[in-house]
Amino acid sequence: MKHLKGITFISLFVFLLLFLCIVFVSPANAADSENCLMCHKYRFLGRIDEQGRKRNYNVDEYIYNETVHRNVPCRDCHTSIQNLPHDPITEEVNCGNQCHIKPPFAKENFSHKAIIETYNKSVHGSKSTDSEELKAAKPYCKYCHLNPRYTKVDEERVASSTLQRCFNCHEEKGVTQAFKHITHRLRHKTSRSRQEIVELCSKNCHEDADKMRRFGVSNESIESVETYKRSIHGKAVSLGSEMTADCVSCHATSKIHDIYKKDEAASTVNKNNLKRTCQQCHLDVNAKFVQIDVHSGITSNEKPFLHFLEIQLGFVLYGSIFGLLGLALIETIGRKKDGIKWQIKDGTSWRGKSKRGF
Amino acid sequence: MATSSETVVTSANDSTADSDYMHYVEGVGHIPRDIYKHVLSDPLGDLPRYSIHIVIQHLLMFITFITLASTGLSLHFGDLFWAPLILAPLGGPDVARVIHRISAGIMIFVAVYHVFTLIIGTYDKLSKKKFDIIRTQIPTLKDWNDLKHDIRYFLGKEKYRPKMGKFMYKQKLHYLAIIWGTFVLVVAGTTLLFPEAMAEFWPNPRFAQDLARLMHADEAIMAASVVVFWHWSNVHLVPGRFPLQWTFLTGRITREHQIEEHFLEYIEDLKNNPEEREYLKSVLKEKGYKTEGGEA
Repeated sequence: MKHLKGITFISLFVFLLLFLCIVFVSPANAADSENCLMCHKYRFLGRIDEQGRKRNYNVDEYIYNETVHRNVPCRDCHTSIQNLPHDPITEEVNCGNQCHIKPPFAKENFSHKAIIETYNKSVHGSKSTDSEELKAAKPYCKYCHLNPRYTKVDEERVASSTLQRCFNCHEEKGVTQAFKHITHRLRHKTSRSRQEIVELCSKNCHEDADKMRRFGVSNESIESVETYKRSIHGKAVSLGSEMTADCVSCHATSKIHDIYKKDEAASTVNKNNLKRTCQQCHLDVNAKFVQIDVHSGITSNEKPFLHFLEIQLGFVLYGSIFGLLGLALIETIGRKKDGIKWQIKDGTSWRGKSKRGF
Repeated sequence: MATSSETVVTSANDSTADSDYMHYVEGVGHIPRDIYKHVLSDPLGDLPRYSIHIVIQHLLMFITFITLASTGLSLHFGDLFWAPLILAPLGGPDVARVIHRISAGIMIFVAVYHVFTLIIGTYDKLSKKKFDIIRTQIPTLKDWNDLKHDIRYFLGKEKYRPKMGKFMYKQKLHYLAIIWGTFVLVVAGTTLLFPEAMAEFWPNPRFAQDLARLMHADEAIMAASVVVFWHWSNVHLVPGRFPLQWTFLTGRITREHQIEEHFLEYIEDLKNNPEEREYLKSVLKEKGYKTEGGEA
């Protein structure tokens, strides 16, 4: 009966653990000193706007408390709100605002201004020379950072045992916040998976060849999604690889937003920078290695020999398969004529009477 | 005992009494070409065909080929529905490509092992003056004639199958294809696996990489299709071989198959195999053919 005692003990222990989990999972203190949630906590708070679209103004406290913005008070971003209850909001949120959060050791309040500057310089930033259509088509902060219902930080990736060691010196609150906000992104280039990055760049945008053609991008760019998906990088990523290059692995530095056309000197895929870019994964990069075509499309204009070869290889493939199958078919017919059947007798097929007449 | 060919034929098949039909072997007599229709055969094999080296090589080749094809092709056709179904149980593409490389390593080992045994075996045969080109995989004009002869036979325009050596035209064709395929796949695969080092090696790395991508995939698709659609059906599914030809496991071939498709090899074997001579004589006697030589 000794082992039963052990089981009882383990059961009690597990139960206690579960109980503790429930007790300690209570909502953390939201950055809601102005009590916006008094109204916005209601799940069906919303209206149908002038365009007839349904707008939902509910903020889920539990989800918001898990997001990167959990310490930012509402009005730091929604600056147009001056009195409460507020008028309908017509102004978009400006991600370049300073909020009332002071980063550690900083004198100024936090703002996304630096990354926005980087972004505005990149190919995706609005330029004065752009046409209206192009301006409209270019992505803005929320185009990529779509935050559907305030995307949760992927807690799976936060190693709690690692974090425990930080507590030896650091205060729990600050370091946990830094860890969740920053460190989980250091493990990958972005907090998004590689598959999500590829989808983000291609869907409705770079894979839309007509749209790209209207904006006068190069042929190589028009085909870029297609050629990427045909490359070993694209194939591995689409199958769920965690080790293979996605779009921003090559097209941006760790700033992520500094994507340029390849003729510009700042571009990571510029001839002079390729070596450093490839070196992130291919350690022994040399001058000849960077000549290799990454977005390789085999077309009759660009690569006539390979194009010709590809067609010939197709003929050889089908020729040999059907040739050999023809041979096997002739042989099968001949053997049937010999009286050999597919019926099994004594472990092999059975030889009957020949139909050849000799 | 009579030895001249005129006195041998006593069966009803008088019309078939040409020199090609009857094959004379000393100590046995004149053997009709289609005697294989009357012999007893054990499906597991009666006569030796492959040494243990060849059986091991084939088995390793078989296992690595299946592994390479399933991991490689499902990576290549990653956008098709079945690819994740194969890759997921293997641990996704990141693990599958390691498996692919290990299998490739084993396959290269098999190729080296094969060449090694081939050189040793050939040297051994040459030194004992037993080397015979008819028993090798080297293609000759005879193979081309055998192919035409065989097609005519299967279409009913020829009376007997050709007399072929240890390796018939189909096997030689397949063997050459494997040499070519392995060469292309190993070279292209190396270029893909070590792009940095191979970029230094090839004169035009951009072209070489594109060519390697094209050839590695194409050759793999070709090899897999030939093996699945032709080799397997040809070896195991045609009537007479169905449901399984055990040679690749036992290293032995059925008597019927040996006489039918490797007649010259069978005759060669008869010289050193008294038991087989006695057995063949008993079959010949039963069928009313004359035999020669006393009891062994």
